[in-house]
Amino acid sequence: MSRDITFGQFYPANSFVHKMDPRAKLVLVIAYIVAVFLVKSLYSYIAIAVFLIAAVLGSRVPVKSVLKSVRGILVIVILTAILNIFFFSGGERVLFSWWKIKITVEALLFALHMALRLIFLVIGTTLLTLTTTPMNLTDGMESLMSPLKLIKVPVHDLAIIMSIALRFIPILIEEVDKIMLAQKARGADFESGGLIKRAKALLPVLIPLFISAFRRADELALALDARCYNATPKRTKYKVLKLGWRDAVGVIILAILIAAIAAVNASFWGLFGFSFGV
Amino acid sequence: MGIIELKNVSFDYESDNTLSRGVKNLSLTIEKGSFVVLLGHNGSGKSTLAKLLNGFLLPGEGDVFINGINTKEKERIFEIRTKVGLVFQNPDNQMVASIIEDDLAFGPENLGVPRDEIIKRVDWALDAVKMSEYRSGTPYKLSGGQKQRIAIAAILAMLPEILILDEATAMLDPRGRAEVMETAKRLNKENKMTVIHITHYMDEAIDADEVIVLNDGEIAIQGSPEFVFGHPEIIKEAGLELPTATKVAGLLREKGFDIPLVLRDEELAEAVCQLR
Ligand SMILES: Nc1ncnc2c1ncn2[C@@H]1O[C@H](COP(=O)(O)OP(=O)(O)O)[C@@H](O)[C@H]1O
Ligand SMILES: [Mg+2]
Repeated sequence: MSRDITFGQFYPANSFVHKMDPRAKLVLVIAYIVAVFLVKSLYSYIAIAVFLIAAVLGSRVPVKSVLKSVRGILVIVILTAILNIFFFSGGERVLFSWWKIKITVEALLFALHMALRLIFLVIGTTLLTLTTTPMNLTDGMESLMSPLKLIKVPVHDLAIIMSIALRFIPILIEEVDKIMLAQKARGADFESGGLIKRAKALLPVLIPLFISAFRRADELALALDARCYNATPKRTKYKVLKLGWRDAVGVIILAILIAAIAAVNASFWGLFGFSFGV
Repeated sequence: MGIIELKNVSFDYESDNTLSRGVKNLSLTIEKGSFVVLLGHNGSGKSTLAKLLNGFLLPGEGDVFINGINTKEKERIFEIRTKVGLVFQNPDNQMVASIIEDDLAFGPENLGVPRDEIIKRVDWALDAVKMSEYRSGTPYKLSGGQKQRIAIAAILAMLPEILILDEATAMLDPRGRAEVMETAKRLNKENKMTVIHITHYMDEAIDADEVIVLNDGEIAIQGSPEFVFGHPEIIKEAGLELPTATKVAGLLREKGFDIPLVLRDEELAEAVCQLR
């Protein structure tokens, strides 16, 4: 029953991508998402695919782990593709039509376009969480958001909240396991019956869980005070993030990708009739 | 003047217009470098006293002085909280970060300690609780005793002068308890740390420099372990038991055997062997 979800889906390795600064990775992933949305021509996906393959190789994460994330959203991808095929309007080259249903080449291409876009988005963001611990992600976000302190956003408090949530999720999950075992030992049945019956069976789990969570929160608040939380606005930092050459390389590669997409957008625009504005 | 001075301190909890007594009219001096064990049944006011010492609670009547500083001095409250480190019962609920060294750094970070100094403190605190090899690990796989030692280290990283363990051994198995006791005693001996250990395991009080027994918010008896456990009636009235060896010796004495007051098992064994 031991699930160490502290590390989320983090895949420990000592790779190029792992060693990058979390801030750089966060910025790169945001830029990458923008790039994927910029794509107007199906050919650009070749560029994105090349970039992704390079990133996966540079992260030493097994391809299987990366593809697992795609499997999770496959249903959504297929569903949106089907909807797109049937509800795309304005296509001209009709492939098939029956009664009110009309399928056009444009609709098929558009569906493919959206499906690829979704898949590439998910792979890119998954790679971030596979190569960065949640703790590092939190540090990175805190650092990136620090300018918001100027407009009185409590960035540091938010970071502490994230960090405490990360710390307590595994504890609470373990607690759920314990309570469920205890209830099962008393004859509780969580597996059979309809939805309502099962939801009802969970009630005796939730109530003790909540009671214990509040008790923990009480003690944690004391512990935060005992550690002089908010003693000074001039808080120092133990972990320092450092940008390195790897981050520069990442930025350059992504810049090349965006340039490539822009070039493809410009030269293929309308040429093959495959292009669609967003 | 002791490192801790309490002068006629009373504190009542007020909730829904009903007052419940926390502590009443406590006067107390604790000397620097001493190992004090605070005993008392559930609800006798031990935690209230601990919270009065680091300024979580301010006395309704009377004054608490830490190193001569009154805890009512608002602008020095963090100075007091740094001097008086408080460790609680459940180690799981005291850790803020998922990585041990980050958790230790949390206190000094809050105090604005420069980074080089934080690194030194983390090194030192981990060494002081003998947990250096776990530095970059997570707390999840640790035993209860190890987790509680990390919680102590997290307080040590703020360089307190007084360490208060509020039933810090209550949730631990015997081995974890022994680890925490050994750590507390070592800090007291080697680092001259003033330690106040709150517990209801009588056996943990035998080696103390001073034992204080609270009963319903008041001091029932106070003094050396020999003195305190030499008054079984008061201990009983306070709702507590005697250490096992002392209890056995007392029963033997009732049966007419000539056995002196003993605290430790070995002393009991010795005394029994001396019998004819
Ligand atoms: N937050 C609170 N609100 C109201 N009463 C409290 C509160 N905390 C403690 N008390 C009361 O104060 C008394 C002393 O409690 P406490 O100091 O926690 O005892 P101990 O730590 O020895 O078990 C008890 O009677 C308890 O009910
Ligand atoms: Mg208590």
